[in-house]
Amino acid sequence: MNGSGDLHLTAMCLRNLFRRKARTTLCIAGIALAVMSTVTITATTTSYTKAIREMNTLFTGDILVVSKSQIVLQALPISGGNLIETIEEEVKDIPEVKATVPLLFVFSTELRGTLEMVPINITVGTPPGNWTVLTGSTPLRAGGKWPSMDVVDEIVIGSCLADVYDIAVNSTIEIKGRNLTVRGVLDTRSAILGRIIMMPLKTAQEIYQYQMLVSMIVVKPEVGVDVKEVADRIEGKLNNPVERIKALTSDERNSLIDPLLDEVDMWNLGISIVFFVTSVTIVTLVAMINVSERRRDFATLDALGASFSSKVLIVLTEIGFIGLLGSIIGIFLGIIATVIVISFYTYIPIQMLFPDILTIASPLLLAKTVGCIVIASCVAGLIPAIAAAKTSIADILRAEY
Amino acid sequence: MEIKTVNMTKTYRLGSSMITAVDKVNFEVNEAKFIAMVGPSGSGKTTLLNLIGLNDSPTSGKIFIDDTDASLLSGSKRRKIRLLRMGFIFQTFNLLPTLNALENVELPMALAGNPQKEQREKAVRLLEDVGLGRRLFHRPKELSMGEMQRVAIARALANNPEIIIADEPTGELDSKTAEEIISLLFEINRKEKTAVIVATHDEKIVRLADVIYTIQDGELRLRG
Repeated sequence: MNGSGDLHLTAMCLRNLFRRKARTTLCIAGIALAVMSTVTITATTTSYTKAIREMNTLFTGDILVVSKSQIVLQALPISGGNLIETIEEEVKDIPEVKATVPLLFVFSTELRGTLEMVPINITVGTPPGNWTVLTGSTPLRAGGKWPSMDVVDEIVIGSCLADVYDIAVNSTIEIKGRNLTVRGVLDTRSAILGRIIMMPLKTAQEIYQYQMLVSMIVVKPEVGVDVKEVADRIEGKLNNPVERIKALTSDERNSLIDPLLDEVDMWNLGISIVFFVTSVTIVTLVAMINVSERRRDFATLDALGASFSSKVLIVLTEIGFIGLLGSIIGIFLGIIATVIVISFYTYIPIQMLFPDILTIASPLLLAKTVGCIVIASCVAGLIPAIAAAKTSIADILRAEY
Repeated sequence: MEIKTVNMTKTYRLGSSMITAVDKVNFEVNEAKFIAMVGPSGSGKTTLLNLIGLNDSPTSGKIFIDDTDASLLSGSKRRKIRLLRMGFIFQTFNLLPTLNALENVELPMALAGNPQKEQREKAVRLLEDVGLGRRLFHRPKELSMGEMQRVAIARALANNPEIIIADEPTGELDSKTAEEIISLLFEINRKEKTAVIVATHDEKIVRLADVIYTIQDGELRLRG
């Protein structure tokens, strides 16, 4: 068929949809709801799993020495006993160890007296000069600098905290009755580094009453040595009835959390499939109703000489349009819902999340969702479309007489 | 265009019984004549017209289009014959409800691949010819029964058919409107030299037709 024929059929399709406003609206709303749910669940869980996976990149290749009772979520010791600070010296004595950095982590999970799922902030104490062991190449925002070696009350904070609480470089904040000067703000979009408060180890120990204690020791092995062997050697040397520790390599840390993350991904996939099947079912039902109601129209087109493909195209255009519109609306609503959910759990104001929207709900995920829904709609519409194309005027008129 | 049927029979199943809707019909049209087929409801008129119009296939016997056995034609060729050489008028008009009068008339031309400008000009002319020059952009539901049938006639003429097949074109109309539609069909037959085959109960059509057939229980007979 030529272009003008296509124009007639497209006009007919769109008017058909418009003529049945309530049904079309409900169908689009059903698809939009399914897409919104898929986008929200996928984007939210993905942003959480991404943040968790990101943690391990903080100490890639390093060995983390922690207390045996410590629960390590990727690179972060989230709960359990601490280590006595002096252990660092014993670790340093092992020949294959190049360097060590003690770190104290304090998670603040309370906001106005209520326990929160996501930490409000994470205080990290480390000896001055070792700041980048955790932050890597993350830069500081303009005007900022790392705390001086000999000053104890200077800190660096993450961009998320700075933005949420409106903290500027060189301003003073109070933590547990102690005034600290903010010397720098980490310029990062990382979920972890964004809410970090870095301060000298001694300061952190004093503020939080963890004298002589650290959460973990980051061990950098010599180049070329077997990391696993070094970890085993550390465990062999330091495990005794008084001090029980574990030395975790990157692989071991991954193996602790990967099955959990894989399960989350599987749940994600499962939920997406359920919503996907729901959309396809809605589309198929609506297509079947539309076709059965308009058998006479299709039969008339057949009598007039319309080709099989043009009749199929009419149904697919209608269904594809519903799928496209439904998925676009669903994505729009899904992005808004995702931002609201993340904001609710992280206490980051909604307006601060919007600039990062394409990081939270990736363009690839959005494009895949629209593509899948439109293709699935067309596939779901195929059977009704073929049924429509096979309708002959003889069958219709015979049924009438 | 010559259409010829040889012992054409159409049977179909209705529940547990077999119905013979058209029984060994031998029929021929090769001139621009006005042919009326008269018979009571259920006598097989509509089935016969569907067979002649290549909208259906006979159970046995043959249909020849210009000496070509229609059963040997592909679906696509049958479709092209319907599109380019035949025009159809139905009792209940069968206009597409979402298209306006102009678009309904343009549709066969669009399906034939005619240029859009040409479609528009011709559709306007045809609708003016049937007296609907002021109703071009009205949807079927905004038109009277008579106006809808006029649109259907204009649509049937869109691709300059050699034959028009009309199934009870006045069946849904009041007598005055029916008379106008009959006049219009005769005018087309005479002016355009288009053969017209009409299945009807209408005695006015029967009186004016060049050839009259009666059909009873699927059997077609020439009325003397």
